[in-house]
Amino acid sequence: MKIEQSQLINDLIALSQQVLATTKTFKHLPYEALNFKPDHNTWSILECIEHLNRYGRFYLPEIEDQLLKSTPISKDRIFRSGFLGTYFVKLVRADNPKKMKAPREMDTTGSTLKSNVIDQFVKQLETLIILMDQSKTANLNTIKTAISLTRFVRLRLGDTLRFLVHHNERHINQAKRVMDKLEVDETFTQST
Amino acid sequence: MIKKEISDQAFTQKVLSLFEKENDQRVYSRGDFLLQEGQVEHHLYFIEKGAVKLYYLTEFEERIIRFGYDGSLINSLSSFLNGSPSEFYIEAIRKTYVKRIPKALLMSVITKNYQSVTQYSKFLETVLIHQIDREIDLMVSSPTQRLERVLKRSPDLFKHVPLKYIASYLRMNPETLSRIRNS
Repeated sequence: MKIEQSQLINDLIALSQQVLATTKTFKHLPYEALNFKPDHNTWSILECIEHLNRYGRFYLPEIEDQLLKSTPISKDRIFRSGFLGTYFVKLVRADNPKKMKAPREMDTTGSTLKSNVIDQFVKQLETLIILMDQSKTANLNTIKTAISLTRFVRLRLGDTLRFLVHHNERHINQAKRVMDKLEVDETFTQST
Repeated sequence: MIKKEISDQAFTQKVLSLFEKENDQRVYSRGDFLLQEGQVEHHLYFIEKGAVKLYYLTEFEERIIRFGYDGSLINSLSSFLNGSPSEFYIEAIRKTYVKRIPKALLMSVITKNYQSVTQYSKFLETVLIHQIDREIDLMVSSPTQRLERVLKRSPDLFKHVPLKYIASYLRMNPETLSRIRNS
């Protein structure tokens, strides 16, 4: 992938704004709905969101550290996605229908979750958007960040941001599907 | 922490009798919220039995600001005073019995006569002093000293609150707290 930095960042911020808006709609659901599991190996809405929080707890401080260490660039550049970056982003994109197994430390199944999981994710998204805005004047090609999966690989900042934003979208869509299912179930109960 | 030990003070007595009269008792299970971020605080709570934590939620963790347990008066103070949305959560740490009174009732009693107003301002002074103590808590750099300061103020804290929450309150990790305590 080849794209102007400013274009990439603007796209990612726009997508994150959508994710933020959807996340806020979950806040109005009752606690039972937030914990509803369509079946035992499908995540509830809160389990989806806490999964994203765990990624944020790793990546947001890492991105901020790398940004603070870097020197700003003076003019817009072309961002080129790396080989691994392309691979990881493709894997987690919302349009990849393949179901994946989360690494154990990121698997939120069965954790006790409170509704403030949503407030926390809202704060994370707001922070992510600020960090992306700051990234506009950072070199997305040469700044590298650690990844949560293995310490032997580092990704270009541009790829890390793409990964995070698309991963967020993927699981917020998943949570939305749980919500839709919930509404169908409720209609069913009312009509009987 | 506003504690009951100031019971010799007339104002506290007066307020405590309000809780009796109002008799609005609630029971919260572990993890239940008395108040969430974004809601406006309309009440003052008296903890009859149990324990609650008042905290600020960051992107990454809960930062505990204060505790309430048997005999404490607690609420989200800035929201209560100026009617703005609360920045803090108040959450039960275990099964907790709470009595609460609405702000309007408390205010009507305070403004009843000159004596009550004076007592109230004395009470607020105490709250302010506690607040400054807490600020110093957070600035003291030695973890051992941070713990000592808190224990001096609330010697029975560990009886009411699990160690991991006290660690958050003292801004250290549970392992550090446990090591300091044992040395």
